[in-house]
Amino acid sequence: MKKNQHPVKLPLLVATGDDIVETDVLIIGGGVTGTGIARDLTLRGLDVILIETSDLNAGASGGNHGLLHSGARYVCSDPEAAVECATELEILKKNAGHCIEETGGLFVAVKGDKENYITDFPDMCKKSGIPSKKIDPKEAREMEPSLSDETIAVYKVNDASINPFKLSIENINDAVSRGSCYLSHTRIETFKIENKAIVYARVRNQISGEIYKIKAKTYVNATGAWAGSIAAMAGIHISMVFSKGSLLVTSKRITKRVISRLRKPTDGDILVPGGVVSILGTTSVRIKSPDNIYPTVKEVDYIISEGEKLIPELKTCRYIRAYAGVRPLVSMGKGDDRDVSRGFTLLDHEKDQVHNFITITGGKLSTYRLMAEKTSDIVCKKHRVSVECRTKTIPLPSTHSGEWSEPGVLVNDPFKSDALEDPFLCECEMVPASAINTVIDSIKNNGGKPDLSSIALRTRVGKGPCQGAFCSIRILSHLHDRGEIIGQTGINDLKYFLNERWKGEQSLLWGQALVQSSLKEMIHCGLFGLELV
Amino acid sequence: MKDKKYITCDITVIGAGFAGMVAAARASALGLKTVQTGNSSQLYFASGLFDFLGVYPLHSRIPLKDPRTGLELLQKEMPDHPYSKTGLEAILKSFDFLARFLQSTGLNYVKPDKRNRSVLTAAGTFKPTCMIPETISKGCLLKNNTPLLLVDFKGLKGFCAGQMADVLKKIHPNILTLSVDVPGEGGDLNPTYFATLFEDSSFLKKLATQISPFLDKVELMGMPAVCGVNKSLDALTRLEKMTGLDIFEIPMMPPSIPGLRLKNAFEKKLAENNVHFLTQAKIKSPQFNGSEFVLDAVNQNMETQIRSRGVILATGRFPGGGLHAQRGYIQETVFNLPVYQPDKRSLWHHINFFEQQGHMINTAGVETDNVFRPVDTHGAVVYENLYAIGTILAHNDWVRLKSGSGVSAVSAFTSVNDFYKKSAAGH
Repeated sequence: MKKNQHPVKLPLLVATGDDIVETDVLIIGGGVTGTGIARDLTLRGLDVILIETSDLNAGASGGNHGLLHSGARYVCSDPEAAVECATELEILKKNAGHCIEETGGLFVAVKGDKENYITDFPDMCKKSGIPSKKIDPKEAREMEPSLSDETIAVYKVNDASINPFKLSIENINDAVSRGSCYLSHTRIETFKIENKAIVYARVRNQISGEIYKIKAKTYVNATGAWAGSIAAMAGIHISMVFSKGSLLVTSKRITKRVISRLRKPTDGDILVPGGVVSILGTTSVRIKSPDNIYPTVKEVDYIISEGEKLIPELKTCRYIRAYAGVRPLVSMGKGDDRDVSRGFTLLDHEKDQVHNFITITGGKLSTYRLMAEKTSDIVCKKHRVSVECRTKTIPLPSTHSGEWSEPGVLVNDPFKSDALEDPFLCECEMVPASAINTVIDSIKNNGGKPDLSSIALRTRVGKGPCQGAFCSIRILSHLHDRGEIIGQTGINDLKYFLNERWKGEQSLLWGQALVQSSLKEMIHCGLFGLELV
Repeated sequence: MKDKKYITCDITVIGAGFAGMVAAARASALGLKTVQTGNSSQLYFASGLFDFLGVYPLHSRIPLKDPRTGLELLQKEMPDHPYSKTGLEAILKSFDFLARFLQSTGLNYVKPDKRNRSVLTAAGTFKPTCMIPETISKGCLLKNNTPLLLVDFKGLKGFCAGQMADVLKKIHPNILTLSVDVPGEGGDLNPTYFATLFEDSSFLKKLATQISPFLDKVELMGMPAVCGVNKSLDALTRLEKMTGLDIFEIPMMPPSIPGLRLKNAFEKKLAENNVHFLTQAKIKSPQFNGSEFVLDAVNQNMETQIRSRGVILATGRFPGGGLHAQRGYIQETVFNLPVYQPDKRSLWHHINFFEQQGHMINTAGVETDNVFRPVDTHGAVVYENLYAIGTILAHNDWVRLKSGSGVSAVSAFTSVNDFYKKSAAGH
């Protein structure tokens, strides 16, 4: 069976469960690291399959600030990471500029913040070679009028914002266009291990239930917070700890630049602009399992109470949604989870007696490319491939299907769509039917199934003030019209989508957001009675 | 400065949603001098279906066949629910009053039956409800062997006949679908405008032509609820005559045309009944001087001082603006009445949107005595002649119970009757 023929299309072969798809490298995990590795290895000439148990960026890659660090945040706690960030920032600006907004950043101290941190900061930046420039607080408040009038010290740095969804979409699109294969909703069932090597992986398509085998020369575990459980399937123990971080999305953009609190990194101290919104976070809460996480009311209130000290407007502004991600950390003993190195963990399991298995976890969005490079280096060594990493130099192409994941793409360019010919299916974020069609095609090209959730992942659909109340049913109708959804699955899809949106809303429903959520319940429960089906 | 006007009246209805409209209708029918303030465009969110009680107990997750059996249990288990303050008779009387009132405007509703009616929605699901517009009623003829045609219109978003047929297939295999290219229209169809086309005979004729290939294959036809605005039944009947089919409308997401019909019907008839309507006006700093309420009604152009013996508060919940949620607590927005509510925000919502018991915040609201006068935390009536009606009432998760219109109608009817009785006795 050829790998680019999605197994869904081959029902005859499936009955036995013995079909084998062969490839050079099987990557497990469709976050920024996994997709980054897929692109890196493909560029070095290897044949790659990437499987993901749900869909792109389902873990920490989709649950973060979208902040591309200048390194300044780590100058005191982790100078090595600071340098890595600074180097990667330059590479990504050059090669993935379309995923990045070069906002610049300000580190801001307010009355009461620790004096020594403020005084030491410029020297620490200098030591790590991180550019920073002192700004007069008065001037800073002219640059960013929403800063607190209790601002006492400000430094300008090179922080930027990055769209992690677009990044993963573009990485996987490039890898696929060069012959690799992406299989969403595909989960590892077991590894077959013989003679200190994985012979094949049995995988299961979560939608169709089909089970088949993927045989690779090397297996890469890029599952982030789930790295421990995947490694365990190969009999390898990795001691993971999970740190949950919650973030809030405002309904409008509050500042032009990334604003960070000039103090030892802690909760609620970064505000990152992304398109037409701003993202405030985070928290650091130790949790037992990375599954089924969502922000709580307590966390939301705590983040706001910290954020408003820096930017008073955060107390009264409208929030659209909240979400949470899990920092996967490999346990090194005690201490605050932020004290655990934010550097990445790369494990060649040759030392654990499984020769063709590698785990990459930890790290951060800012250094995803470097993590992919280092992982790919080990893979290439195992394959005796001597091609150097090319993601440093070859720009990441911009494709049409990644375009709609950016907040406010159309808001800034309202003449792109003619509503008469091309109706907006999502009116809050102005996503026209033609854009949805492009995304549907792209999902199908990658062997995926277009449904509300996979479309929402790749577009701004459901991310505006209505949070899916109106657009969900319109897009569902559109999918039926195109024959993409058949039967009862449509209603199940709608319920799943609304419930996923809800997890991000329920902790911050007051004021206008509560009005919107009430309307949503009126339509979907009051009229359609979806809670009864 | 704005011009200031002064009005004196018997009763002021604050709010122009469904409950406020019923209250103004009842008050004016009883001959009370009535002033009404508010924004009637909330009715675009009304389905036009009048629910009595659709589901009880909630955890059963089964639509009630007979609302009266649910009502008996509810009155036993939920003594604070608005229905427990009234009886079956009052509920039926209020629906009867409503049906007659609307009929007098030309908007015909089918009167309540002993059983709930099951109305097909645009999602392909069935909603249990009580009193429905005649234009929707033939959908209840739907049996699993009736050959049915479902029609949608290209460009009318959120209504897909194929999707409904797919969902219905298991229980109703005999469905054909047709997607109509609307003659003379392209792209996005605005439902409010589109509905007016159905009042034009030549449009109906063109539509009938497109339906004609199906006429010998089906008996019944369903279409989105956009068949005319002010003459909907007439338009539907004409289309039935042209095609020889029984036709029914299917309610869809807002803006709701059956809701718009209600808005127009109420506005027209209330104006005829001399209800003084201060459109869009908001009440600022209400006072009670010992015998009357003094209310400043302010809208964009005008400020009006109303002196009124009685007040009916029908401002709705969060969407209507009757309740407002701060980050930590819920307030009543006009009189700052005590609001029954969960202790803290973390209890407001459940993590599962479709949680069978509903979200606790939806039981928050104003608590009242048996004639719907707000009471304070000690159970004492706040003002002798202040009433609160409709969705602002506490202990009624109307979305989940499917009890919205019933509670609105009966609380409007009961409160106005009480005020009228007292005034008659006093005079």
